[in-house]
Amino acid sequence: MIYGLIGAAGLELGDFLFGLLTFIVLMLLVGKFAWKPVVGMMAARQDKITGDLDYADKSRAEAQDLLAKRQDELKNTQAEAVTIVNNAKANGEKQEKEIVAAAHEEASSIKSKAQQDIAQAKQDALNGARDQVADLSVTIASKIIGKSLKAEDQQALIDDYIKGLGD
Amino acid sequence: MNDKYPELQLGPVRFNLANDIPMLIAAVVVFLLVFYLSRKPKLRPGGKQNLLEWIIDFTNGIVKGEMPGKEGNTFKLFIFTMFLFVFMMNQLGLFIDVKIDGYTWFHSPTASPLITMTLAMIVLVLSHYYGVKNKGFKGYLKGYVTPMAFMAPINLLEEFTNFMTLSLRLYGNIFAGEVLVMLIRNLGLMGGHAAFVAFPFGFIVEMVWQGFSVFIGSIQAYIFVTLGTVYMSHKAVSE
Repeated sequence: MIYGLIGAAGLELGDFLFGLLTFIVLMLLVGKFAWKPVVGMMAARQDKITGDLDYADKSRAEAQDLLAKRQDELKNTQAEAVTIVNNAKANGEKQEKEIVAAAHEEASSIKSKAQQDIAQAKQDALNGARDQVADLSVTIASKIIGKSLKAEDQQALIDDYIKGLGD
Repeated sequence: MNDKYPELQLGPVRFNLANDIPMLIAAVVVFLLVFYLSRKPKLRPGGKQNLLEWIIDFTNGIVKGEMPGKEGNTFKLFIFTMFLFVFMMNQLGLFIDVKIDGYTWFHSPTASPLITMTLAMIVLVLSHYYGVKNKGFKGYLKGYVTPMAFMAPINLLEEFTNFMTLSLRLYGNIFAGEVLVMLIRNLGLMGGHAAFVAFPFGFIVEMVWQGFSVFIGSIQAYIFVTLGTVYMSHKAVSE
């Protein structure tokens, strides 16, 4: 050991120079061939991770915006749908009422017309019967009395008579 | 210990090959390892890239713990390389030990104080350099008289003790580990009458101690870079 220390002091300067040179050359070579590419790659990876994280944050914010928008739209759509259904219901009820009213009206008009027709027919029948009875009476009377009576002259009399019968 | 080392004299400078060869091999192994691990890096990392990124995150965590701000980025590659280099030097000598004709050719370079001092000096020179660079020369000098002017001698002394503790802690741990590995090995291989007791005993204890030395080597590499970061942050970061 003493030998070594004395050597270090002056005798073996060569080792010092050699060690220095070896270390410097080693550092340069390691730096050029191993350190630079690998550390560069590590830095690139760090950049990529940072970028990816930023991108993910941005994407999430965008997705949330989109979601809020969609929810708003959905709410609007639901309200719209309710309005449409309500309108349809109101329209339906209105139409129903109209149809029923129209049916009522038609039915009553048909009924009144039928009553009119019936009354007319009854009147016609009565009139026909009255005429025939008048003719028949005249014929019978003329046969009985033997002289021909003028139907026109007796008409008023017979009408009165018939009316009394009808009532 | 009393090992002899092969030496190479080039002009005025002398090289201790038992330090230089393993250091070079450790550097090559570290480079090949990270080179292999860093091939075709992908945004979605696979197995080997995960391992490398884990090591990078680990050393970056050491730097961030002391220098959370931007200043730390300057030191990340340095700490990463230093950690792997020291770690590899600590571990290589544990299981590779080459001795030919009494000359040691291969051991942990960090078991030599010269090498650990070299490493500590790199750390401290860098700390002073970035101290001046980040705070300006005035701010750097002001660091010596904080919190009070009479603290200057203590601060100056601290520079020296930082250097000594940083280097000698690493050296002491690894050197002691190596010595014990060698002693246990010698015990196991002592031969003679007790050989059939000594060999299994030495074998098992050697295994246990080497396992523990792996742990020590890792911890010491971690402590070395952590303390280096602390010293650098004291100088380079203005509070």
